[in-house]
Amino acid sequence: MKIQSSFWLAVAATLMLSACSTSVERLDAQEQIDLSGAWNDTDSQLVAREMIEDSLSRAWISKFVQSEGKDPVVIVGSVKNLSHEHINTNTFIANMERELINSGEVQFVASAANRQEIRDERADQDLNASEATRKEAGQEYGADYMMQGQINTIVDVDGTTQVRYYQVNLELISLKDNRKVWVGEKKIKKLIKNSKLRL
Amino acid sequence: MHKLLIVLLFSLTGCAAQQNNNKLANELRQTTPEHILSILQENKPDTSDIAQYYLNLGYLQLLSGEFTSAIESLSTANKEMQLLSAISITENVAAGTINETLRRYSGYPLDRVMVHNMLALSYLFNQDIEGARVEMLQADVEMKKLSEGESLSGQLASTHLLSAIIYELLDERSDAFISYQLTENILNKRQIPLPEGLKLGLLRASKKMGNDQAYDRYSKLYPRLAKQTNLDKQVFILYFNGVVANKEQRSIVVPSFNGRQLIRVSVPGYPNTRVLQQQANISDGLHRVNSALIENIDVLAKEDLDKEYPSILLLTTTRAVAKYKLVEEAQKKDPLLGALLNFATLLSEVADLRSWNMLPAMVQFGYLETDFDNITLSANSQIEQPINLNQGKQHVILTTGLSDKIFHYQQ
Repeated sequence: MKIQSSFWLAVAATLMLSACSTSVERLDAQEQIDLSGAWNDTDSQLVAREMIEDSLSRAWISKFVQSEGKDPVVIVGSVKNLSHEHINTNTFIANMERELINSGEVQFVASAANRQEIRDERADQDLNASEATRKEAGQEYGADYMMQGQINTIVDVDGTTQVRYYQVNLELISLKDNRKVWVGEKKIKKLIKNSKLRL
Repeated sequence: MHKLLIVLLFSLTGCAAQQNNNKLANELRQTTPEHILSILQENKPDTSDIAQYYLNLGYLQLLSGEFTSAIESLSTANKEMQLLSAISITENVAAGTINETLRRYSGYPLDRVMVHNMLALSYLFNQDIEGARVEMLQADVEMKKLSEGESLSGQLASTHLLSAIIYELLDERSDAFISYQLTENILNKRQIPLPEGLKLGLLRASKKMGNDQAYDRYSKLYPRLAKQTNLDKQVFILYFNGVVANKEQRSIVVPSFNGRQLIRVSVPGYPNTRVLQQQANISDGLHRVNSALIENIDVLAKEDLDKEYPSILLLTTTRAVAKYKLVEEAQKKDPLLGALLNFATLLSEVADLRSWNMLPAMVQFGYLETDFDNITLSANSQIEQPINLNQGKQHVILTTGLSDKIFHYQQ
């Protein structure tokens, strides 16, 4: 009898402890999971993919190839966060860069911060690398277009219900003459209902 | 019954934690924020006090210049308050039977909005003005959530003013003007005289955004200020005066109608103390500007508690009846156990004294335009400290009466 009660006590204790312990589950990075309703990785990937697809399907790209005889060179500039949330725009920029490079339809050059590091390395090579492997300065690809944009939100709230409306605007601007050759817009609307009661 | 006795006595640990916190908040009046911060960091918060702990911790980190830590702590507090905004069934049962400290601290309307002010300032002095802007937008959503008709509960003039300053720094003219107007509306409703800096803000923002009708109206209201010529540099100063009042416990012990047990009732209240209003002043040698009241946090804290009073009284009465019945049942079974349980119910009857109790008692605002590169600032009539303005044209300065630290953002 005593052994039996100890057994059940151990089972109960194990169950209670397992309820308190941390659990980790690996997920597919593409899986859509919404916890708080805030901007998340799914939004970032989705918006980047759709907007880059849209930009590459427009007439500016064929016109450029026709007139210049080469693929356009693009750089991604800043994406301003004007939303209600602390959004890490670097991940969004990285998503856009990936979509642009993988499209194979444009050449892509490194951002200003990346370029400086590479220039430092080239300067170092100038002193220390062998002549056969040394990379010369002044051979950089100059970008033809810069992509810039902003993320805006409108939040409508009533008690525990919220409607969050995200609007991402991107523009592709010609570095030669400041012409805007493409303007894209992507909207996301979310309805978030929070519980009025908790345990 | 014996287990219940243990639970009742266990609830007293929460009482000790809140007394310790109130003691620290009182000490903040005499010592530096850094000193209180070091003591607070050594304490670990109870699960039920997480939001209060991180609110105080984050505020002290801001005043100590630890902006990244302040952002982390205040964000933790904000997340906890958001999580606890739903009504808890079990916590209400515990509050209605043992005491209200068993409820997790979910923050008053003042806390829920003020946390964004402190976060915005932390971001700003951490050189992240976009982060500060996000906080002001979140504060706006929070104020909309809390608004109830004409009530001013959770509507903070200091939040709108800080929004106006941040929008002005970002050259978002119409947003700046709207925020200055919202500040004006709240101050008028609270019958607080408009600081000169706010009047100048209304004039400046209406003119910049080309709202001629509004500019004419404000020019007629403030003709002397409308004639002032605009100078090269803008200095916005925020001054935190004093420390907000702590709640105190008000208890009465009465014998039951049959005289067999004692009943104790405890409710929280604020003492009738008055904070000495001191000012900060800035001068460029030609002009001297004094800071003026924008938010009386003492008043807001009292209003928040007053609003909660009906539910506090309901729970206090429910608790008194529940405890009486419990002791009566115990007395029937065992008079000694009944007496012990009665003693435990008396001890466990404590009021919830938790609040964001290290906040300033008042927030003041001043505004100076100057052509000079050097100005001086003094707070609490103490020595003047020099401030150099040659790195930018727009400056936000935060100072407090609790230490001689000055925080300066310039662009």
